[in-house]
Amino acid sequence: MDATYIQNSILQLKTDIFMDVRHKTLQKYTGDPVLDENQLFYLLVPFFNGEEWEHEQKEAAITVGIVYAALAAHDHIKELDATSKEQQLTVLAGDFYSGRYYEILAASGNVALIRSLSQGIVARCEHQIKVYEQEERTVEQWFAAVENIEAGLIAQFFELYAFEQYVALVEKGLLYFRLERELAAHQCGQTSLFNTCIEKSAIHEGTTYERVMQNKIVQLKAEILQDIKQASFLQDDIKWALEARVEANVVSTNG
Amino acid sequence: MEKMKLKLLYSDLKSDIEIIEKELETAVNSSSHLINDASLHLLQAGGKRIRPIFVLLGAKFGDYQIDKIKDVAVPLELIHMASLVHDDVIDDSDMRRGRPTVKSQWNNRVAMYTGDFIFARALEYITKLEDPHVHQILARTMVEICNGEVIQIEDKYRLNQGLKDYFRRIKRKTALLISSSCELGAVAAGVDKKTVNHLKRFGYFVGMSFQIIDDILDIMATDKELGKPAGSDLLQGNITLPILLLKDDPHMQPYLTKVFAGTLTEPERQEMLKYVRKSEAIKQANKMSDQYLKKALKEIDALPKHPVKKKLRDLALVMGKRKF
Repeated sequence: MDATYIQNSILQLKTDIFMDVRHKTLQKYTGDPVLDENQLFYLLVPFFNGEEWEHEQKEAAITVGIVYAALAAHDHIKELDATSKEQQLTVLAGDFYSGRYYEILAASGNVALIRSLSQGIVARCEHQIKVYEQEERTVEQWFAAVENIEAGLIAQFFELYAFEQYVALVEKGLLYFRLERELAAHQCGQTSLFNTCIEKSAIHEGTTYERVMQNKIVQLKAEILQDIKQASFLQDDIKWALEARVEANVVSTNG
Repeated sequence: MEKMKLKLLYSDLKSDIEIIEKELETAVNSSSHLINDASLHLLQAGGKRIRPIFVLLGAKFGDYQIDKIKDVAVPLELIHMASLVHDDVIDDSDMRRGRPTVKSQWNNRVAMYTGDFIFARALEYITKLEDPHVHQILARTMVEICNGEVIQIEDKYRLNQGLKDYFRRIKRKTALLISSSCELGAVAAGVDKKTVNHLKRFGYFVGMSFQIIDDILDIMATDKELGKPAGSDLLQGNITLPILLLKDDPHMQPYLTKVFAGTLTEPERQEMLKYVRKSEAIKQANKMSDQYLKKALKEIDALPKHPVKKKLRDLALVMGKRKF
C-alpha cells in the first residue's frame, strides 16, 4: 500500500459521502459537505490495516462521515443573525445529512450503529456547548473535550466493530491535528472559542496559552510515534502511513 | 378553552401521558447544565403533545403496552421539539408560545447544539425498538420534513406559486409527522397492515387540516393568543393559504409589496390583517381544511370497530375547529 492508494481511498470515501447526501438546492447554496481528510484517513485505518471490511463496514464508515458533515454544518452557523439564505440552508443541510445517515442505516437494518452514533452525537454536543457554559475547567478538561469532538464518533464506530485497538491512535492523532490547527490560527491572530477557553484556563493555572499548547502538541506527537512503533497489530506499511501523516502534519480541509 | 377540550379528550390517556411527560424529562437529561436548561425551557413551554397522543391512539388498535409504545411516542415529540429549535434559528424568531426561544435566550449555536442533542436523544431512544421498518418510516419522514423546509425557503416571497406548491409544503412540514405518529404507534403495537394504512392516511389528512387552521390562525388570532405578532408567517415571507388565495386581489397588492420590501408599518400591518380577516379567503381556507377533515373522518369509518374510533373522531374535530 502506498500514499497514492491511501489518498485514492480517502477520495473514494469522500465521493461516496457526497453521493449519499447530494441535494440540488443545498449544494447550490451551501456547497459540498465539509469533510476533514484527517478524520476520513483515521476512519479507514482498520481497512488499510487489512481488518474485515465488507459492505457493512464500508457503509458504516460512510455514515460516520455523514454525521461529521452534519455536525460540521451546524458548527458554521453564526452565533447571532443567521438570517441569510445560505445560513438558513446550512441549518437544514445539517438536519438533512442527519436524516440521511439515519435513512441509510435504517435501510440496512443497522440499528446498533444508529444507537451508537446517536450516543456519540449526544456526547459531542455536550462537549461542543461547554464553551458557552460559565464553569471553570482545567486545560486538560478542554483537551479532553476537543478530543471527543474530533474523534468520538470514529471511536464509537471502532468499538462497535471490535476495532478497539485503534481508538487511542485516532483520539491522539485527531487531537494532535486539531491543536496544531488551533495554535496556527492563534498565531495568525485568529480567535476561536476553544482557544479563548484554553487561554483562560492556562492563565488560571499560572501558565500561558502558547506553553500549554506547545507542550501538549510535543507530548502527543511523541506518544503517537511511540504507540505506532509498539503497535503489534499494525502492518509495517500502515505504520509508515500513520507516521508520515503525523510528521508531515497534513493540513486538514475542515473549515 | 382549546387546551381544555384536548385535556378532556385525553382524560382516559392521562396516566400514559404523564408517563410520557416524565420520560421526556428523562430523555433530555444531560451532563451539560446548559443543554439541561435549554431543553427544560422547551419542555416547560408545553405544547399540545399531539404527536405522542396520535401514537397512543394508533397503538390502541393492537397490542397496547405503554412500556413499548412510549419508546415511539417520546422520540416523535423530541423530533418535533428539536425541529422547532432549529426552525427558530432559520426564522430568527425570538418568541414561541409566549416564551423566548432558545436562540434568543442564549444564541444560535446553543440552539443548534441543543437541537442536535435532542434529535440524537430521539434516535437513541427509538433504537430500543429493533424493527428496521420502524426506523425506515421515521428516517424517511425526517428526510422529507427537511426537504419540505428547503422548499419553504425556496418558496419564500414567491407569489407565482399555486395551491399545489402550498399543499406540497404543508404535507412535509406538518402532515407527514402526524401521519407517521399514527403509523408508528400502530406498527409498534403489531396492528395489521390494512389498519395501519388507514391510520397513516387519517394522520395525513388531519395533519393537512391542522396546518391550514394553523395558517388561518396566524392571521385571525391576536398577538397575545399567538405569543407573537399576528401575520408573522407573511412577514417572514411564507405565503400561506389565505395569502395565496388573495395574491391577485388588487387591494392586497400594496401590502404585499411593502411586506416584501420590509417597509410595512405597524398601522399598515393592522389594516392588512383587518382586510384579510374579513375576506373570502378565510372562508375558502376553512372550507379546504374541512375537506381534509372529512377525508380524515372517512378513514376512521374504514377502521375496524373499536372504542378508540370515537376518540380519533373527536380529536380530529377539535384540531380542525380550534380557535387558537
